Amino acid sequence: MIKLSEINRKEALRYMGSGNLKANEAMNSLMDKCEEKILSVAEVKYLYKKIPLKESGLLLGNDIKNHLKSCENAVILCATTGAGIDRLIRTAQVTDMAEAVVLDALASCAVEQICNKLDKLIANEYSDKYLTYRFSPGYGDYPLELQGEFLRLLDAPRKIGLCTNENSLLTPTKSVTAIIGLSDKPVERKRRGCACCNLKETCKYRKTGEHCEL
Amino acid sequence: MNFNELIKKDFVLLDGAMGTMLQKSGLKLGEIPETLNITNPEAIISIHKAYVEAGSEIISTNTFGANSYKMKNCGYSVTELIGAAVKNARSAARDKALVALDIGPIGQLLEPAGSLSFERAYEYFKEEVLAGKDADVIFFETFTDLLELKAGVLAALENCEKPVVASMTFEENARTFAGVSVACAALTLEGLGVSALGVNCSLGPDELSPIVKEFTSITSLPIFVKPNAGLPDPNSNSYNVSAEDFAESMDKITDFGTVKLVGGCCGTTPDYIRALKDVISNKSYKKAKIKTDTAVCSATTAVEINQPRIIGERINPTGKKLFKQALINNDIDYILSQAISQVKAGADILDVNVGLPEIDEKEMMVRVIKALQAVVDVPLQIDSTKPEVLEAALRIYNGKPIINSVNGEEKSLSTVLPLVKKYGASVVGLTLDENGIPKTAEGRFEIAKRIVERAKALGIPSKDVYIDCLTLTVSAEQSACKQTLKALNRVKNELGCKTCLGVSNISFGLPNRPLINHIFLTMALEEGLDLPIINPNDELMTGSVRAYKVLSDIDKNSRDFIEAYNEVKTQAPKIASSHVSLFDAIVNGLKGEAGALTEKALESKDAMEIVNGDLIPALDKVGADFESNKIFLPQLIQSANVAQVCFEVIKKYLQKNNNAPVSKGKIILATVKGDIHDIGKNIVKVLLDNYGYTVVDLGRDVAPELIVETAIKQDIKLIGLSALMTTTLKSMEDTIALARKTPELQNEDGSSKVIFFVGGAVLTADYAEKIGADYYCKDAKESVDTAKKVFGN
Repeated sequence: MIKLSEINRKEALRYMGSGNLKANEAMNSLMDKCEEKILSVAEVKYLYKKIPLKESGLLLGNDIKNHLKSCENAVILCATTGAGIDRLIRTAQVTDMAEAVVLDALASCAVEQICNKLDKLIANEYSDKYLTYRFSPGYGDYPLELQGEFLRLLDAPRKIGLCTNENSLLTPTKSVTAIIGLSDKPVERKRRGCACCNLKETCKYRKTGEHCEL
Repeated sequence: MNFNELIKKDFVLLDGAMGTMLQKSGLKLGEIPETLNITNPEAIISIHKAYVEAGSEIISTNTFGANSYKMKNCGYSVTELIGAAVKNARSAARDKALVALDIGPIGQLLEPAGSLSFERAYEYFKEEVLAGKDADVIFFETFTDLLELKAGVLAALENCEKPVVASMTFEENARTFAGVSVACAALTLEGLGVSALGVNCSLGPDELSPIVKEFTSITSLPIFVKPNAGLPDPNSNSYNVSAEDFAESMDKITDFGTVKLVGGCCGTTPDYIRALKDVISNKSYKKAKIKTDTAVCSATTAVEINQPRIIGERINPTGKKLFKQALINNDIDYILSQAISQVKAGADILDVNVGLPEIDEKEMMVRVIKALQAVVDVPLQIDSTKPEVLEAALRIYNGKPIINSVNGEEKSLSTVLPLVKKYGASVVGLTLDENGIPKTAEGRFEIAKRIVERAKALGIPSKDVYIDCLTLTVSAEQSACKQTLKALNRVKNELGCKTCLGVSNISFGLPNRPLINHIFLTMALEEGLDLPIINPNDELMTGSVRAYKVLSDIDKNSRDFIEAYNEVKTQAPKIASSHVSLFDAIVNGLKGEAGALTEKALESKDAMEIVNGDLIPALDKVGADFESNKIFLPQLIQSANVAQVCFEVIKKYLQKNNNAPVSKGKIILATVKGDIHDIGKNIVKVLLDNYGYTVVDLGRDVAPELIVETAIKQDIKLIGLSALMTTTLKSMEDTIALARKTPELQNEDGSSKVIFFVGGAVLTADYAEKIGADYYCKDAKESVDTAKKVFGN
């Protein structure tokens, strides 16, 4: 079972301004308060499943074909921090917008951390295979619209209450879907670089020479 | 045999799983099970037959996901799929079993968690209900959102004559994914008029056992239980409870009483049904004892009226200038903040009244209830004099509400009570009629009796009628107070009804009103008042209720009292105000200091001088600091919030001196259609507000038509649009395109009257230009810069 114990503050601070700037005392105590709330409200849920790629209907676009070129099978996964987090952030937007922004940033980090732990869990389970890094609908030319199909294959609406809306956005919002390729041959285990990121044109981190931890 | 006859039996045996049986028989990855009704009917019929042979008395059609949202790309219509499915089931059932139309969730979350509206959900379900016209009964199964289930149940009850069974899926913490509790599900569904209700899926019978037990203590309706065959192994997908163990556990569950319809969900097979049949065939049915008194609920919180409960009265425009203004300006956030502060102060239930001649009360009531449900957990009391407003609110209310109110007038009785019955609400009964308010306790008691009798005749239990014996002003009629209290006592003891009372009217016209109010409240509590309607923010009133509960041995070990008053007060920032300037207070986000500092400044300075000399420069400084990465976004917002406190003080000062504050310009903000990520838009709103602009916030998932209509109606020339995802950028483009071709928004020379600024994570300046936006704003700060440019201030 994956549990959430501590949230990566540095990454959260990056979402809220800059990774190079140090938080002052007031900012830190706001982060403490918000982290406590996130940890008490979050209900971590996830699913994963090994699937054969052939005829899966999931190989749409060049980026994913390239990413999974040496793989016959893959693990599809999804994870969420639950509907309570959305409600928490929504309520904070009425009572204290500053708190809402911190909660939002921490929750985004939390779901990312869950996925990182899920990566490790899957890597252990398939230790006889070579694994690609986690690739999500919305990266590069991989259509966001596939999120609904991922969830359907995982039976996620019924099993963990994770759905998409008509525009393929995940609800609850602090959630992720992704695919990890399984290969018998070594795969280039490179980072998820900026090259396939949709935000590369507008990314404020890139402009300052930083990059995010995705 | 029909369903209503069948449930007269001790137990009714249902079927087991369809989905996991299909998987075993070789359903391919990605294949949609519902299409097999048409492409491979033999496979479906043989599963149905196996269950009928095992003894199932009702079998469920293979239609769990057969709604037009999930089936949109499958090549068949809902009518075709469900028609075929019912036919398949019928051919297996013959005259040995009934056929249940099985309906599962739509597969999209309803507002506020998702973006599917209640009304749209209703339409999806209605289509399924009509397509299943040849079934005998309708089973709604595996629901996790109570409001979605309510949409389904209403769609069924309003569009066919079939009995309806409603079942939800709970996790081990006895909540659904959406946070719905057992009590909330039971109270709401029983009120809506289902024939049976219960639980299915997610867990095995042993894990579901405590959840079923709780159901039996709340509802007397037959309970439906279909557990999984334990829990699945993630790799092999096989379940861990055998048919024998399953039956043994179900034996214990049926011992609770009230449980009547039994079967299995995922992982169960005809063997499980056979084993279950052996267990129930020698048992007789009994009813469990109900432990719950009358209760009302939201989707997540049930409030039992078994002790005094506070109803917060602040969401009501009567006599409140700011509230009226908020309604007229569509300022929902103001109303929400009123709600949250009352709940924090100790309200158990909130009264909601938005009646104002200047606005469309029905539309506003629906908007406010939807918004309230998204942020507060307490049950609501829907307060209106108009039946059509009450009904619109009752439809979309997620839980069991209180209706405020019905009275002894024939017109009221005949219009309000049927709504109370249909939607399963509780109701406040006012002891007045065509002849006004009776002077004597006897007169009021008689009206109360009449209301209760009329309610009973419609099938509304008297425990759900809360009688209000009406508070009259003691300064006008001093003896009236005793009559109210006497009537209250009689209603409570002779009719056995719960009572409610608006309290603060009592002191009108007297000095030291709080003193009178709080003594009157105490007297009324002693006479048996259950639901005081008060201002919970008034510490003396809320405190009186808390103290009363200690002194009358309700609050055991004074636990709630101690919790309310033992809290360590958080310390205010330790900065001596004499050393802080207004400018520094804003820059450092010192909210506690800012109001007093502004007041002090107004003693020596002109209001506009403070705005332009202190507030705006301070906001500009934090804006610049944010831009150059010297502070974090929450700090920028904190400063903006402090500035807002200052602006409020100045506004009040100007109003007092008859200088209406001048808005720098009106701006529409909206997160575009389909997009539900609205935090970015809300940050922009905070900043624009605090720079003195008037923001008309249309919310998230906003249709282009509404944006254009608002711009025309309110004559607004600047519109800000936000979209987070690539998939919703199209809506942004559509909105701008619609505005550009709307004649009312064009100048005579053909140029556009409205200016668009756009923002959002995936937007680029190039893209903004491509879709016809006038300005691209990379962050909230740039939105303010844009507004300054457009309005020239």
